[in-house]
Amino acid sequence: MKTMKTKTSPKMAVNLGPLKLNNPVMTASGTFGYGEEYAGYLDLSRLGAVVVKGLSLKPRLGNPPPRIMETSGGMLNSIGLQNIGVDAFIEEKLPFLRKYNTAVVANIYGETYDEFKQVAKKLSSAKGVHALEVNISCPNVKKGGVSFGADPKVAAIVTRTVKDETGLPVIVKLTPNVTDVAAVAVAVEKAGADIISLINTLTGMSVDLKTRRPHLKNITGGLSGPAIKPVALRMVWQVLQKVSIPVIGIGGIMTAEDALEFLILGAKAVQIGTANFINPCATLDIIEGIKIYLADNGIKDINEIIGTFRP
Amino acid sequence: MAANIYIGEILENVEIQEDCFLMKIKTAPSFQNPLPGQFIMIRISGLNDPFLSRPISIYAFSRNEDYSTIELLYRAVGKGTQIMAGLIEGSMVEINGPLGNGFDTKSVKENIVIISGGIGIAPLSMLTETLQKTHPASNMIIYKGFQSASAVVGLKKLQKLCRNISVCTDDGTMGEKGFVTGIFQKDMKKFPQDNTSIYACGPRPMLRSLANILNRTKFCCQVSLEERMACGVGACMGCAVAVKDKNGALAHRRVCADGPVFNLQDIIWE
Repeated sequence: MKTMKTKTSPKMAVNLGPLKLNNPVMTASGTFGYGEEYAGYLDLSRLGAVVVKGLSLKPRLGNPPPRIMETSGGMLNSIGLQNIGVDAFIEEKLPFLRKYNTAVVANIYGETYDEFKQVAKKLSSAKGVHALEVNISCPNVKKGGVSFGADPKVAAIVTRTVKDETGLPVIVKLTPNVTDVAAVAVAVEKAGADIISLINTLTGMSVDLKTRRPHLKNITGGLSGPAIKPVALRMVWQVLQKVSIPVIGIGGIMTAEDALEFLILGAKAVQIGTANFINPCATLDIIEGIKIYLADNGIKDINEIIGTFRP
Repeated sequence: MAANIYIGEILENVEIQEDCFLMKIKTAPSFQNPLPGQFIMIRISGLNDPFLSRPISIYAFSRNEDYSTIELLYRAVGKGTQIMAGLIEGSMVEINGPLGNGFDTKSVKENIVIISGGIGIAPLSMLTETLQKTHPASNMIIYKGFQSASAVVGLKKLQKLCRNISVCTDDGTMGEKGFVTGIFQKDMKKFPQDNTSIYACGPRPMLRSLANILNRTKFCCQVSLEERMACGVGACMGCAVAVKDKNGALAHRRVCADGPVFNLQDIIWE
């Protein structure tokens, strides 16, 4: 893209109901560690938000390896939510993130309603957490995960459970592995979700021709990367037509153009996931690319372009 | 460009043995001095297929005032490395590194045993160079195993660094016939267990066999592992390896950020 000289840089701040971000570019949970892994590559303060790896009540070992496999235009993963647990996060990782002028979103996971409740409670009293993202969409764990996100009624109960426990804005992250994503979105909105984010990964497989075994020990994994972007756009569009709370678009965003597609549809923000793996500065490149697009088109504020889709 | 990410220009990319290539990459003088055992993530195309960068361990490194040179010794075995093999002189690649923890070259015993299988020689060659500088008085022996004579690489360079090299091949076409671990095992009694540092790199079955051989001995052995990686910086948890933690319990460590070098005795083999 050609850079045009403008006197003022476009305004990038967005409001997602109770959650205010400096710009609409967030990291996606599970792709940015606890932030510190990428701090040597970019200034975290320049991000709209850092969404950390999914946190559970107790540390989780995760799934046995091998856990990832490259696919055409993407990758499969079956990490299984390996994480250090909510207490260690608050103690060891959060102080580092507090140094930055960026929103910190804690992605939370539980095997039971009560675990969601306890994790939410611990994070709500921790200093420096700006929102919770409720993970009811992990395809790689046996308990909880996608089983909470596939049934609108159960998704609503998880949402309500977390809402009752916290004063923080609650984002609910949806799975694409359902027949009717909008039905789940409507259910979590009614249950009090402040924001919806989607999509998590699509369940997939890959077979090793030499051994005739799955490439992943877990057999199935979650597909991410540019291959899933059209599916993500379709689902974000379906959800936007049914809910009135802010929506965060996720799925295969590699470039500013990809991010703008979601914003034009009406997503108030986007999350960048797998792109971080192949370009640690992907988020910053996307932020700068959006600014250039806005400047080139004479748009002074990012909000002027959000939701301008013309079906 | 952020710290650690560099653009490199390919100076040379030649097939030195069947399917085995030596790539020389010229990059900025600010590229950090790598430790033996460290690796780079190399982005081999701007396209989405192959999608991920490839982790390749550093074979050699040098610098002058104007630029640094990274050498990679790799086998073209999969989609990514085959495309790497096709890159011509003057091509540009994006590299992220040096990454990971290298071999511990500080607490080195009087006897040094280096055991390599196939292309596992790449990080061990750089290790040999380093140890010859830092511990010139040590007794060093290198056991190098290959499938056959036509797969032998990196030997000439090592011969200049170490007088004591034992080469073996699976089919007996060069050196002794047999697996490198078996050849080492025959000599094992010669090395004092509490005064020998062992370093190894090679295919998983070789390292596993070495683990069995060294089981119940007091030898300290560091190994460099390989695993499919996505990020290379410790964020994605994709390259996990099963290890025993301090209390002997099962834990998953990241080959990229916690390794790629591990103590052999900590690894849990299935």
